[in-house]
Amino acid sequence: MTAGPLLSLGAVLVLAPALPGVATKTKSLLTGRRGAPVLQLYWDLVRLLRKGAVYSTTTSWMFRLAPVAGAVTPLLAAILLPLDGRGAVLQFSGDFVAFAALLALGRFTLILAALDTGSSFEGMGASRDAAFASLVEPALFLCFVVLMLATGRLSLSGMLGAAPAPSLAMVAVSLFFVLLAEASRVPVDDPATHLELTMIHEVAVLDHSGPDLALLLYGAALRMALFAALPVSVLVSRAEWVAPLALAVLVAGMVLVAVAVGIIESSMARLRLSRVPQFLVAASVLASLGVILQLLT
Amino acid sequence: MTLYFVGLAALVAAGLSALLLRHRPALADRSYGLLAGAGCVLAALPAVRVLAGGPAVEGQLGSWAFGIDLLSSAFLLVVLIPGLASALYGARTPSAARMLFVIELAALALVVTARGVIPFLIAWEVMAVLAYFLVTFEHERAEVRRAGLVYLVATHTGTLALLAMFASWAGPSGSLGFDALAARAGTLPGGGAVVLCLALFGFGLKAGLVPLHFWLPDAHATAPSHVSALMSGVVIKMGIYGLFRVVSLLGVPPAWWGWLVLALGAVSAVLGVLWALAQHDLKRLLAYHSVENIGIILMGLGAGVLGISYRVPLVAILGFAGAVLHTLNHALFKSLLFLGAGATYHATGTRDLDRLGGLARRMPLTWITFLIASVAIVGLPPLNGFVSEWVVYRALVGGVTSAGPIRLSLVAVAALALVGGLALACFAKVCGIVFLGAPRSAEAAQGHEADAGMLAPMFGLAAACVLIGLAPALAVGPALAVGGSVARVAVDTAGSGIPEAVTRIGLLSLMLGALLALGSLAWGVLRRRRPTKQAETWGCGYALPTARMQYTASSFAAPLLAAYGPLSGVHETRSRTAFHSHAREIVLEGAILPVWAAVRGALWRLRPIQHGRLWVYLLYLIAVLLLLLLYLAGLVGGAPR
Repeated sequence: MTAGPLLSLGAVLVLAPALPGVATKTKSLLTGRRGAPVLQLYWDLVRLLRKGAVYSTTTSWMFRLAPVAGAVTPLLAAILLPLDGRGAVLQFSGDFVAFAALLALGRFTLILAALDTGSSFEGMGASRDAAFASLVEPALFLCFVVLMLATGRLSLSGMLGAAPAPSLAMVAVSLFFVLLAEASRVPVDDPATHLELTMIHEVAVLDHSGPDLALLLYGAALRMALFAALPVSVLVSRAEWVAPLALAVLVAGMVLVAVAVGIIESSMARLRLSRVPQFLVAASVLASLGVILQLLT
Repeated sequence: MTLYFVGLAALVAAGLSALLLRHRPALADRSYGLLAGAGCVLAALPAVRVLAGGPAVEGQLGSWAFGIDLLSSAFLLVVLIPGLASALYGARTPSAARMLFVIELAALALVVTARGVIPFLIAWEVMAVLAYFLVTFEHERAEVRRAGLVYLVATHTGTLALLAMFASWAGPSGSLGFDALAARAGTLPGGGAVVLCLALFGFGLKAGLVPLHFWLPDAHATAPSHVSALMSGVVIKMGIYGLFRVVSLLGVPPAWWGWLVLALGAVSAVLGVLWALAQHDLKRLLAYHSVENIGIILMGLGAGVLGISYRVPLVAILGFAGAVLHTLNHALFKSLLFLGAGATYHATGTRDLDRLGGLARRMPLTWITFLIASVAIVGLPPLNGFVSEWVVYRALVGGVTSAGPIRLSLVAVAALALVGGLALACFAKVCGIVFLGAPRSAEAAQGHEADAGMLAPMFGLAAACVLIGLAPALAVGPALAVGGSVARVAVDTAGSGIPEAVTRIGLLSLMLGALLALGSLAWGVLRRRRPTKQAETWGCGYALPTARMQYTASSFAAPLLAAYGPLSGVHETRSRTAFHSHAREIVLEGAILPVWAAVRGALWRLRPIQHGRLWVYLLYLIAVLLLLLLYLAGLVGGAPR
């Protein structure tokens, strides 16, 4: 194995916490505020790592395992993605199932940790997270189906890098919807809300503090980075490019995606909770249209 | 083969010893445990040998032929591993129950090894009737009697369909060995359409395929827990075995049947998990999850049939292998879940999710096994459920490069993904509500850990789940061989990337396990260096939180179920002061019972004929006799021959 995939992986791992910052900055600028620095999350992480933590007397080891799983699972999912445009650190036929399942494991532990606190607020967040995630999953897999049909390859490294086609544009939009849900952004969730009753992800981690919260925040940022890398990899085939250029284009693309997230956040309100499933089903429908297009060609 | 029969004899002996030595409990316990253990191990040995690459074995019991080929071996393990664990878990039950249980195991083993219609059907009926006795063992409760009755009617309807199937298959030839059936397969009209439809009905009724699952939730929920484990983990798999056997005897089933099985599997999987989410009763919830997993297994089977029909050997092998492996895995983790549910019921006396909570503190060992089984059933790494679901996924997408309609099977991936997401929500609910948080009732607060006799079988099953998860090649290799034997193609996966993929899945699982362990360790050290303190859960400033303020199982599932409307079967009654939600069994309560009630109502009109007075019946007899005599007279007089 060459160093290319590992270098790209390292770059993504290091740069991931900047993405939420880019989105927030965009939103601030568009709404006429100065906003927090782009690198704010790095400072937050350092500060939280130094702090102590408060544990609820109701919680058990599950509550302490969740932050570790929340960081480890996107890390392992990242090694399955072809971040350098050529191939992943670990690839095999059917690895897209493992990609989704690893991220699902992270969510499972997070939901259990939320229920571990015995708080109705966290239960609420956990319940909504589980409900919406179950609708995101088919959309994600239908996107993979389009990519597999387009390339005839069954590994992420093979299927990301198809020749441009109209169905791929649908996949990219659908994956962007998936990103909005997975990264808990508007219109599915609002990271800036201050009311527990309306939160999803934020309220599910309400009781975590100190180093645990740092790990959870980092895991969430990494999750967002992975889902930002997906549409970029679908739209821009970088297999022929030299490694530094491929990496630079990936990073630039991910920043653009984050800017798009910020633009959406500043231009629309969050959907009513009962409307969110419709938005997520729309992502599946888009991907299904892509599947039909591919089957027809 | 002798070894196998000796094993079955030991199982029967274990049952008899439990009954005969019931006045000397210590001796009875010991002989039951030893003989049941020895019986299962001895009977499983030939199966392990066949799966490891040995030749298939044949044997006679009287004039009946039995045999252990690859398919039988896989299902023998499905029967014997969870069977032994459940038998040992139930070692404290009354002696009659123990006897029935181990003889049921022997009957199950005979079902999967029979090589002729007669022994197959006899073993099938013994299995079905013993299962009825086991399910209704606590017959003092009315709900148990009702569940047993529905089960008994359903299983015999299935048997009737099977009788019709075998009769139409054997035809007038009269030879009822499986070899003879296989030889006749080519002559069946329409590619065996009648046989395949009857098989899907008869075996589907046993497997609990939607909409034929209506008997399953009640029967599995009301039985004693180790019986539920056997019913849900093993007995319903006999339906899957039957379908496999029919496919392997038939050779090349038509493609439409493959699509039908795939579609029914997808429907079963989605509706099964959706209905599971709506349940408040722990064991009913687990029972509905069996419907879901049967759906996943059938999706694999359907993909395999499509692979044969459209001549894509790799898809055929992977589909069948995925189905077989998921059957084994589901047998392991579902019986483990039922045993865990039994332990919580034993400890708290309630199966109502909304009266449980916080059991992780009181039952830490049960909690670990339950968590392992939950992660496995959701299909998450690093456990066995992920491995078999991966094989099924891989089968569904395996037709991607082939021209022709098999490419459509890729769409089924979306159904499997939806099922995965819903199953995650459902088991997050079960684990979170039952084991985490604070106890919601006094019973839950007084829960206690299960004893060693119950925990040991549970840990055995959990270890099997972990082993298959971390060393998937161990299980996938033999499963591929079984898949190849059903598809009747030589297994040659070189160049397909399958062996490499399985190795890498194992690597990924090991990495996941190692990183979780190392990360927890490192974070434990870091936490110790930071000042930590204990406090109440943050309640947004509210000072007097109670356990009743926690999220409940119903509220956890509510947003999800609301998205599916009436399909979820949730029935809500609300007044100004009270709210109650109830999960209806849509097929049973919505279709079958109303239809039967209508039939009964129509037949009620005949009631006046039945007076219950002797002279009326004598009058009927005389009238019928007279009529017959008149008829005969007319016949003799009118049509002389």
